[in-house]
Amino acid sequence: MSNQALVDAEWALAHLDDAKVVFIEVDEDTEAYAGNHIRNAIALNWKTDLQDPIRRDFVNKQQFEALLSAKGVSNDDTVVLYGGNNNWFAAYAFWYFKLYGHGDVRLLDGGRKKWELDGRELVSEVPSRAATTYVAKDQDRSIRAFREDVLKAIGTQNLVDVRSPDEYAGRLLAPAHLPQEAARIGGHIPTAANIPWSKAANEDGSFKSIDELKALYEGAGVDLNKDTIAYCRIGERSAHSWFVLHELLGVKNVSNYDGSWTEYGSLVGVPVAVGDEPGDA
Amino acid sequence: MSGCGAVVGGVSLDNIDISTQAVIQGVITYGDVPASVGYARLLDRNDEFVAEVPISKQGEFRFFTVSGDWTIVALIPGSNSRTQVTAELGKVLDVDIVIPK
Repeated sequence: MSNQALVDAEWALAHLDDAKVVFIEVDEDTEAYAGNHIRNAIALNWKTDLQDPIRRDFVNKQQFEALLSAKGVSNDDTVVLYGGNNNWFAAYAFWYFKLYGHGDVRLLDGGRKKWELDGRELVSEVPSRAATTYVAKDQDRSIRAFREDVLKAIGTQNLVDVRSPDEYAGRLLAPAHLPQEAARIGGHIPTAANIPWSKAANEDGSFKSIDELKALYEGAGVDLNKDTIAYCRIGERSAHSWFVLHELLGVKNVSNYDGSWTEYGSLVGVPVAVGDEPGDA
Repeated sequence: MSGCGAVVGGVSLDNIDISTQAVIQGVITYGDVPASVGYARLLDRNDEFVAEVPISKQGEFRFFTVSGDWTIVALIPGSNSRTQVTAELGKVLDVDIVIPK
């Protein structure tokens, strides 16, 4: 697969010692990074580094600038993101870097899983990078959807629910590696198509071919000439699908609803569909 | 708000009300020793991906589901296997998976 936003292990190995290429492992739980990681990679914690500590929102522009400055990332560095969970959080961070306008950001195909399964080197030494003065751009709202955007899109634009079929139908309330929750209703946003993120990935976590990805979305009847909003439970699996659509397939009018089902499924008075069919507007 | 990240080996059963869960847990063994690097993947009755966890250093994994038929795919470097199970709400199903060397 040839795409500048996606790099493979060979490309990574050739750039591990390039001072202008910053490898960043992104996980929700940084225990994996603390155990071992790709040589010269630094870490970002999806929650403590990228989420506001009080409100449910991202860190703001100034906080993002302070974070990357302290991590030693410069505006002209090539940032290569990878992580566990089939690159969910790395894809989320990719979207986040795009949101704040970083110039050259890429994703390592297959992330930590493929690297591990291929038996490649992982080390425990933590590199040190000199602090920088990072300057972020204002958030690019064209790639981020809020609940008002989602409500307007019901029945008129594409809504793509990328959770598993059982979560979409309301039979499961969370991915099955987490305890099933009871406080929130199950189901999906009416008219949303269910195209699980996992259909875009091979078993080793790498992305399927461009032809397979095109066939996936066209086969699901999604008209990519319309605006598209992707969502999941908290916005990280849908960032993976956003990456597929926006970066690999070149669809520009696609945004990620990071509020996702944890917000929509708790809203009062909004329409909800259950079962395997998209439902009516 | 909690994230969707998978905990190595699976979330602990401490403080979990098992009556609302159909738990599938077990150990992946390569030959006669626990696999220390790899992943356990859960598929639904239609072979669709549902969840995946990195196994612990002792080869352990755990999933939280509802009653029904599931497939566990064990992925370790150079090998994998599939195991079909039936889970039941309120119960913990122990599944030991042996991948021959």
